[in-house]
Order: sequence, then structure tokens, then C-alpha cells
Amino acid sequence: MASVHESLYFNPMLTNGVVHANVFGVRDWVTPHKMALLVLLSELGRAGSQLGLLERRRLNRLLLPLLQGPDMALSRLRKAIEECCPHLAGSVHIRLKLMAEGELKDMEQFFDDLSDSFSGTEPEVHKTSVVGLFLRHMILAYNKLSFSQVYKLYTALQQYFHKDDKKDGADESEMELTNPEELDGRMEKEELDGPLREEEIACSGPLSQKQAEYFLSQQASLLKNDETKALAPASLQKELNNLLKFNPDFAEAHYLSYLNNLRVQDVFSSTHSLLHYFDRLILTGAESKSNGDEGYGRSLRYAALNLAALHCRFGHYQQAELALQEAIRIAQESNDHVCLQHCLSWLYILEQKIFDSCVLLEHSVNKSLHFGLPYLASLGIQSLVQQRAFAGKAANKLMDALKDSDLLHWKHSLSELIDISIAQKTAIWRLYGRSTMALQQAQTLLSMNSLEAVNVGVQQNNTESFAVVLCHLAELHAEQGYFAAASEILKHLKERFPPNSQHAQLWMLFDQKIQFERAMNDGRYHVADSLVAGITALNSIEGVYRKAIVLKAQNQMSEAHKLLQKLLIHCQKIKNTEMVIRVLLSTAELYWRSSCHTIALPVLLQALALAREYSLQYLASETVLNLAFSQLILGIPEQALNILHMAIEPVLAHGAVLDKGCAMFLVAKCQVASAASYTPEKKTEALESAILNLNEAKNYFAKVDCKEQLRDVLYFQARLFHTLGKTQERNKCAMLFRQLHQELPAHGVPLINAFK
Amino acid sequence: MAAAVVTAGGSDFSDLREIKKQLLSVAERSRERGLQHSGKWAAELAFALEPLPLSELPPPPVLTEEDARDLDAYTLAKSYFDLKEYDRAAYFLQGCKSQKAYFLYMYSRYLSGEKKKDDETVDSLGPLEKGQVKNEALRELRVELSKKHKAQELDGFGLYLYGVVLRKLDLVKEAIDVFVEAAHALPLHWGAWLELCNLITDKEMLKFLSLPDTWMKEFFLAHIYTELQLIEEALQKYQSLIDAGFSKSTYIISQIAVAYHNIRDIDKALSIFNELRKQDPYRIENMDTFSNLLYVRSMKPELSYLAHNLCEIDKYRVETCCVIGNYYSLRSQHEKAALYFQRALKLNPRYLGAWTLMGHEYMEMKNTSAAIQAYRHAIEVNKRDYRAWYGLGQTYEILKMPFYCLYYYRRAHQLRPNDSRMLVALGECYEKLNQLVEAKKCYWRAYAVGDVEKMALVKLAKLHEQLNESEQAAQCYIKYIQDIYSCGEVVEHLEVSTAFRYLAQYYFKCKLWDEASACAQKCCAFNDTREEGKALLRQILQLRNQGETSSTDVAAPFFLPASLSASNTPTRRVSPLNLSSVTP
Repeated sequence: MASVHESLYFNPMLTNGVVHANVFGVRDWVTPHKMALLVLLSELGRAGSQLGLLERRRLNRLLLPLLQGPDMALSRLRKAIEECCPHLAGSVHIRLKLMAEGELKDMEQFFDDLSDSFSGTEPEVHKTSVVGLFLRHMILAYNKLSFSQVYKLYTALQQYFHKDDKKDGADESEMELTNPEELDGRMEKEELDGPLREEEIACSGPLSQKQAEYFLSQQASLLKNDETKALAPASLQKELNNLLKFNPDFAEAHYLSYLNNLRVQDVFSSTHSLLHYFDRLILTGAESKSNGDEGYGRSLRYAALNLAALHCRFGHYQQAELALQEAIRIAQESNDHVCLQHCLSWLYILEQKIFDSCVLLEHSVNKSLHFGLPYLASLGIQSLVQQRAFAGKAANKLMDALKDSDLLHWKHSLSELIDISIAQKTAIWRLYGRSTMALQQAQTLLSMNSLEAVNVGVQQNNTESFAVVLCHLAELHAEQGYFAAASEILKHLKERFPPNSQHAQLWMLFDQKIQFERAMNDGRYHVADSLVAGITALNSIEGVYRKAIVLKAQNQMSEAHKLLQKLLIHCQKIKNTEMVIRVLLSTAELYWRSSCHTIALPVLLQALALAREYSLQYLASETVLNLAFSQLILGIPEQALNILHMAIEPVLAHGAVLDKGCAMFLVAKCQVASAASYTPEKKTEALESAILNLNEAKNYFAKVDCKEQLRDVLYFQARLFHTLGKTQERNKCAMLFRQLHQELPAHGVPLINAFK
Repeated sequence: MAAAVVTAGGSDFSDLREIKKQLLSVAERSRERGLQHSGKWAAELAFALEPLPLSELPPPPVLTEEDARDLDAYTLAKSYFDLKEYDRAAYFLQGCKSQKAYFLYMYSRYLSGEKKKDDETVDSLGPLEKGQVKNEALRELRVELSKKHKAQELDGFGLYLYGVVLRKLDLVKEAIDVFVEAAHALPLHWGAWLELCNLITDKEMLKFLSLPDTWMKEFFLAHIYTELQLIEEALQKYQSLIDAGFSKSTYIISQIAVAYHNIRDIDKALSIFNELRKQDPYRIENMDTFSNLLYVRSMKPELSYLAHNLCEIDKYRVETCCVIGNYYSLRSQHEKAALYFQRALKLNPRYLGAWTLMGHEYMEMKNTSAAIQAYRHAIEVNKRDYRAWYGLGQTYEILKMPFYCLYYYRRAHQLRPNDSRMLVALGECYEKLNQLVEAKKCYWRAYAVGDVEKMALVKLAKLHEQLNESEQAAQCYIKYIQDIYSCGEVVEHLEVSTAFRYLAQYYFKCKLWDEASACAQKCCAFNDTREEGKALLRQILQLRNQGETSSTDVAAPFFLPASLSASNTPTRRVSPLNLSSVTP
């Protein structure tokens, strides 16, 4: 059963799951956009009390994002101001126009005047206010400029202004070009520019520092939360290359390029980008004196750790281990406990591939809590719960642990972990065979709104948790016979996680599993067989198991048995208990199909013991059904009925429709068999209740369209009616049976011997 | 038009007089167009040939009607151009139709753009503008030139300029085509060939070029073979050029020296450079390479002499700064060395060698982060700079990150597959990571490709020792000793004693008394193993006396070159290096 994977990689731009791009301190530079803001501020001061209260409030709310946001075109800025106060927008435009169309001295004068706003007994602007700081930054930056730089700034301002102007009058200028010769020359020029243009269109000029940062952080968070909404790998790479061409020192771009390369599974480029990023980071770490040596050493450790993560992602576990050892060694040498904790978590993930290592994990959780790393601690708890669930620890304790970690998540608003936690609960409930609980948890997650502030507009992210939950939901629906709903969910999954995205494998597996089940129900074994290859590609153990089932259904008993035995040994080795039980059940079925019920019994008992031990309730009840059937065949139907009472309740409550049908059918059979020794009245009563049960079974079978079982039920019912002397009902059943019988090929196995 | 006069003849060198005539005339024509480097190259080469009698001197170029019309403007503009007043030159050349004037017009516009670009970089408006500074003139030039190109109005020089513009716009494919065309139109113009050299990145690309079949092609091929590290071929080409009569050419001599430097044949390279300095004492080009060689050999007085000499000639040249940097580095004054490399970079930011060398200096100063920065810059300028990759690897190795540096060493190894230093470095890293199998592969390969430092075998032997593969270890030690002795050098080699000690022990264990005692005697020659050797000798004597009498015929010591001469060249089978690592 799929549960949450360890896809949460460490990311220096993310702390506790939140994206931060501004790693480097940005120095302020005067740009035309900033000048426009300065003009706006000075106009604001000049307008003073003339402004209405409402307008003033609107403007104040507008100012902060403008001051902190990226540069934008003048037209957009004007629009924003106009929305607040049209009068002010006009005066700002006129001031800018005067400055842009005037002389250099106008700009110089403007900056000279700016500093006046601080003077006086009651200054317009406080020196330490947000606006005051901005003004002082700008004045300082302006005063630092050399002569040629001032001139350049002025020409940039002119361009900034005229670009906006031109946009307004673009249509007119187009019309003016009436001279055919000139038009011709223009055409040719454009033609020649063709190849160059193409490259430039995508990037449409260089980005400013803030814009670049915004772009990077946005894309990074999209890559993490919703891959489909991020730019396509190729175009993102193009953007990044462009960014790096204009500013080779922008190291984060290398990191994003690493993430992007991970998306397309490109080992070479991603390694290259990652190392490049850290080479660059080391520089900046060394430059900033505040961090001192510490900052520099720190990035070294994380560099090694990230390399380990990369190798792990690509399945190079040995390489990953070497890199991790290195990270651990360096972290130990410099006493960096936080880094060590990260290493420990990764160590667990790596060791997990080799042997289970709860000790490591427990240690990690303790230490992480101690060092105040809630994210890491919660991840640890979740992994621990997952492991414990597989190891058959008490369910109440696990749920308690999850609840405790949930408290932590809500406290720190770690929305991602909340999602994971719910997805995990869904998976665990399914593992225990409580489909209603699983269904409820899945619905909880799906109807929850995301806490993440990054994309406020979007209610949910496309993270793995959602994929997991949706897959479970699809399977649950399919089990209940709502195939249309299931395929609807799968369609949704396909849209949300396109086939080449990271989590697409999940739904692919579930899709094929559902199809497989349907094919088996319909008796289209060749279809099921063709699906096995697909399943094997995604999950080899599941694939082998399904292959065995197909073989069994095709009556190739010895092959099936061989395969199951191999699988059993393998699963016991990797401690996949759930699969062990399923394999045991299938083996038992093989035995009773070959009429070796006495051999089947110990196998079934073993399965039952295991299922009870690991509290896999649903598998346990299925085992009981099998056991009851064997007892029925061995001639102790009363005993069978007794234990059936144990199993029937969970099956009816949580079971798949098919299983419910089988269970009811079996109950009816046992009732009939045990009725043989009853007194006639009692016997009639028993048979009548058996008929009722059969009706119920029939309903269930009809739901999943199992014609074979339906036919068997009808035959059985007809016989019972016959015994009871109800000829009319008997004939009806017989007719239905006849119809089905003509449709279906004759069954190889005697009727009474089949339980499934 | 004039191109017909000076088309280079066939590819043979039978008529050196004709070649000389062509060279002289092309030198003149390049100069007329302000292409000083090409002119210099042609003149240098022409100087290497016999002087021509007066009657055979090439006639002054014939002036056409157009030339005459533009003559005044051209003369004025050329003088401005020579004074580096490009905009002024371009202004007076506007509207000129003659090829020469037109070329100068376009060329001064191009140079003016480049100059402005360089000036702009100094004062930009912010960190983001740093990379944005572009030569604004390029696009206009491209449009105009491509129009002319389509109309086939460009001569060889014009095509060359068009190619340069395209290359600056990063349109590499188009640029290559245009340069090839330029080489066809005017094969004598070395500039076009040189640009081609810079654009061709591998042998395959070279194969698919259709180049004019002239004697210039030989020079081009020799040059590009050197660039592509195909040293054997390059040396062959140069030798045949010398045989053809260019033996006095300083250009060829310097290229040969550089080629020897590239294959690390230090002695030959040094002697050639010395010869070159005798012929051309005021030469500054390639002297940085020379100083590298002197540095490697730790020839302090020579390096000091060279540095002073160059400093006298011109202290503001990149090469001079490099030589001085090397000089300081050899004297372990690393701060000063770094300073001089920085100066070199200020003079020419595209001068790749200085970045790498600066990285080395920072490494010496233990300033790893600055070193990483310098190396990364070097890689940015040229991705194929194996020394920078190697340097990065070393830096991380110093930071005790053996796994991390594997990647860098591997990059370096990819670029220089037959350089033993990278292989030894890789092997050491694997050894540190306890991946002994990989380490063994690396060391063996390093030995097989010809170990420079002769340490690979010892390291391999020690690995075998660790793995208790005593036979292989002994084999390695024997090979190592043979190697050392066959070199003929009596250099104090630290590991020789260890080798003998191990061998003595090994033979002792194998009860091969003769060999054991020979080795033990050798051990006595070294200070650190003397006692052990003596002890072993005593033991052997004892055991021998107990046992049967030894065989009397004393064979020549197995490890001496005498026995080696039987199989003079040990067949070093180079097996493909198949490291199990999946990483790039």
C-alpha cells in the first residue's frame, strides 16, 4: 500500500517548508522605477491635506508593496496609482514628463529637493520611517553615482518614460509608415533580426534583481508544490540561462536549475548545477563578514549533504552514502548539530534501503526536538509511524503519535506536513482495513484549504500527499463498485499530475491495479495478464503477485505455486507482512482448489496469526472466510458458521463489494450444509434465511458485475427453492441461470468447491 | 579584384619566393585596413624567408577609380584610426564605396563599439547591468554586412569582419560558415584562420570543414592541432613547415615550444624557448608559458632574469605580469603573486591563465574560498580549462571532502584523459573513500598512460600490500624500481627504500635467498632502512647456512635496467578506465 515517500529533500531556499530567495543582501540602486516612486512620494507630501481620508488610506496601502516589490513598467504603476487617486496619478505623470523631457539638471534639482523633506522643525517624513528609510537609501545611492552613471540614469529615465509614451501612441506611428521604400527596409531588417529575436523574445530583456529573485522564488515554490504550474523544464532552463548570462553571480539560479534538472532526471546537468551553486555560495558566504568563517564552512557541509540527496534521488545509494559520510564528518568537526540532524534524517532514509533502522530515527526525532527543528522532527515522527505501522505496532499509539505531531504542525503552521500527516492516516487506515476511516481522512484532506501564503489564490497544492489520497480514493470507490467514479478520479489525477511529472507513477500503478481487478472479475484473464507487465514496471512485488493470481485463475497451478513460494520468501526477507499474508492466502486457495484442504488449513492459520499480530484486520477477516470455507468442505459447517460470525461484521462494514458477496454466499452455503442435520421445520427456516443471504450476495455481485459468481448463486438458489418446493421461484432462478450460462464458458471447477 | 593578385598558390612550398611575395603584399594590405595582428603575423613569417631582389618585390597595389575617389577620406580616417579615434574615423568614411575605405569604416565602428563596451563595464548602474553591457553597434553592423554578404559584395576582409560580428553575437554556426568563406576568398589573411581556430572545438568539426587548399592551410592545421591538444600531429606539421624553409620563423619555434609544454616535455620546451629568446630577445608573447616551465623546474635565477628583462621591455603587458606572478610564487611570496595576476586580469579580463594561476596562489595562501572563486572564473571563461577543474578538486581535497572533489577531478580527467596527475588524484580520493578497487584502477591507468611523478606504482603497490596481494605488490615495486633506474636519474626518491624493503621481505618469505639478499643490500644504502636491511641479511645468512648451499651463479640483479633491456619497452596495455561510479 502506497504511503508518503521520502521526497522531501533539503533545500537551502526553504526553511521549514517556506521559500526564501533573498539570501544575499541587496544593495539599493537608483532605477527609473524607483525615481517614479520618489516622485510619487514627493507629490504625496505636496498634496498633503488636500487628499481625502479614503484616498490617503488607499495610497498608504499601495506604497508598501511598491517600495518592496520589483520594478514595473510606468504604465502599470500609473494604473495602480490611478485606482487609488486619479488626481495624483496625473500630477506624477506631469512631473516625470517634465523631468524626462527637460534637462539633466531637472533630475539633479529633484534629488537636491528630496533631502529637504527631512529638514524643518516638523519634517514631512520621519528619518526612521519606512518611507524615510527608502528616501535616504535612494539619496545615498544617487550621491554615490559617478558623472557618467548619472547621465546613464538620466537616459534610462528617458527611455522608461518614452517606452510608456510610445505604447500609447503605437498605433499612430504604425500608420505613419507610408513610405514604401522605408517599409521595405524595415521588413528586411526585421527579417534579418529573425533568429536573434527568437532568442530574445523568451526573456524580454534582463530582469532586475528583485524581479529575478521573485521569479526564482516563485518558480521554486511552484516546483515544490505544483509542478504543472511551473514553467516547462525547457523554457525554465532557457530563462535561467538568460538570467545567468546577464548576471553570472546570481547563484540561486544555479540551484533552481538543479531542481529543474531533477525534474527531467538529468544526472549530469543537475550535478553540475548543484556544485556550481555551492561553489558560488561559498564565495558569498566568505564575503559577508557577519557570518565569518562559520558561514563558509556551513555551506560546505550543506553542499556535501545536498550531493548525498542528489545521489539518493537518482538511486545511487552507495554514492549517496559516501557523500553523506563526508557531510557528517565535516559537520561533526565543526559541531554543527543542526546540520547533523539533517544528516541523520538522510542517514535513516539511506539505511532504510538496507535494513530498518528505527533507532536512528528515534534518535533523530529526540535530537531534532531538542534543537528546535520542528520540521525535521515531524518528518521523523511520520517516518517512524510509517515504519511502526508496517512493523505491526499498536495502532492507538501510532495514532497518538500522529496526533501529537499534528499539534506541532498546526502550531508552526507547517501546512505541507499537515497534508502528509492526513495522507498518512489515510494510508494507515487502509492498511488496517478500515475503509470508512480511510475514506473520511481522504475527504478531509481534499476539502481542506491550503495554509500556504505563497499562492493564496490556489486552494490546494499538487503535492505527493494529494496524489496519494486521490489514489486511495479511486481504489476505495472501485472496491465499492463505483467504477465510473473511480475513473473520474483517475481522470482528475491525470490532469493534475501529468504523466511526466514526479508523482505520476502513483496513479499509474493504481489505475492499472483497478483495471486488473475489473478484468479479473469479468473473467478476462488475458486482459489482466497484459496489465501485469505494466504493474511490474511500477512495483515489482505487486507485479509478481498479480502474475501469480492470473496464473491461478488460468488453472496453471504449479506455475502459480512456484511463483508464490518465491514471492513468499522474498517478502519475508524484506518484511513486507501485508504481502506475506496475501501470498499465504493465495497459496491456501491454490491448495483447496487442488482439493488439499488439510494442507491449506495450517497455511491459513499462519496467515491469520500474522494478520492478527500486525492488526491487519481486513486481511484477518478474509483469512477467516477462507478458513470457514475449508471447514465447510471438511464437513464441519457448524464450526464454519461459528467463526464466520467473527468475520462477517468487519467484512460487511469495510470490505469490498466482491468480498461482501463472497462472504454472504459462504454464509448461505454453511447454513445449508448445517441444516442437513436439523429438524424439518428448522431446516426450512434455515434454508429460507440462506435464500435471503443469497439474495444479498446476488446484489453485491451484480454491483461489480461478476457474472460467474452470479451464475453460481442463481444455481444454488434454484436448488434451494427446489428443495423448498417453490417451483415458480425456482424456475425464475433457473431461467436466469440458463441465460448467464449461455453467455459464459463452462466452469472447470465443481461448483461447490469454489468459494471465490 | 585585388584578391586575384595574391591568391595563394597550391599547397606545396616549392616556390618560396612566390610565398614571400604573397606574404609581403598581404602584410601591406592588412596594415592598410588596420588589422595589425594579421599584418604582424605575415610580416614575421616573411622575415623568416630569404630577402627578395629589387626586381621581384611585389608592385604597389593598383589603385582603382574608386580608391582614388576615397583616397583623401581614407588617408584622414586612417590616421584617426591609428590614434584610436574610431568614431571620428567612421564619421569621415561615411559613404565611401571602395573596398578598403568601406572596410575601415565598418571596422572602426566595430572597434568603437567594443571600446565603449569595455568602458561601460567600469561604471554600470547596478549589479544586474554588469552582464548587460553589449556592443550596441553589433546588430546594426550585422544587418548592413549581411545585406552586403547576400549581394556578394564583401571581399576577404569584409567577410572576416562579418564573421567577427557574428561570433560576438554568439551566432557560432553562421560565424564558422562566414570564416570559411573568408578563408576561401582571401587565404592569406591569418586573422580569419585564427578565428576559425577559436570556434572549432573538436576534431570532428574540423573534418567537415571545406577549407581552401593552400599552403596557409598547413599553418592553420598545425595551429589547431596544438589547440585541440593533438600534439603529435601538430609537431609533425610544424616539422614539415620547418623543412619547407621556414626554419627561421619565430612563430613556428614558439608554437613548437608551446606544444612541447602541453605534453610536458619540459626539457625540450625549455631549450626551444631559450633558442627563441636568443633569436628574438624582446619578444613578450608566449613568455608566460616559458615562465611556467621555469617555475615547474624551480629555476629561480632564470625566472628572475626573465622577469626583470620583461619588466624592462614593457611592464604593462599581461605576459609580463604573469611572469612576475610566477616569480613571486616561486619565491613563496604568494600575496604579491596574486596581486600581479590580478593586474594581468585588469589588463585583459579574458586572459584565462591568470585566473587559474591566481587560484593556485590563493590555495597556497590557504584562502580556499578565494581560490574557488578564481577557479570558477577560469571555468567560466573556458570550460575546457582542465587546470581550473583540477585546482577546484584540490581545493576541496584540502577541505577534506574527498567525495565532493571526485566530481572535479573527473571533469579534469575527461579533458585530459592521458594525464597521470588527474588519475593519481582520483586514485587518492578513492583510497580515502576506501574504494580500493577503483583506486587500483586509477593508479594502474596512471602508470599505463605514463606517470609523470612516478608515484602511481608505489601507491598501487601499497594498495596491494593493504589488500594482502603480496605478489602484485612485489610486481609493482619491481616495475617501480625498474622505472626509476631506467630513467637514469639518480634523484633521491623517497619510496625507493620502501620498495626495496618490501621486496626483501617478500623474497625472504618466498625463500628466494639470492633476490632477498640483493634487495637487503640495496636497503643498506638508505638511511631509514639500513638497520632493517642488515638484520635481514644476517637472517638470510643464517638460514642459508642451515639449508643447502645456494646456487653459485650470480645473476644480474633483476631490477636493473640491464634485465629490462631484454624487453625494452614494457607493453603497457591501456585498458579502458571503467570506474563504477555513475556520477558525471
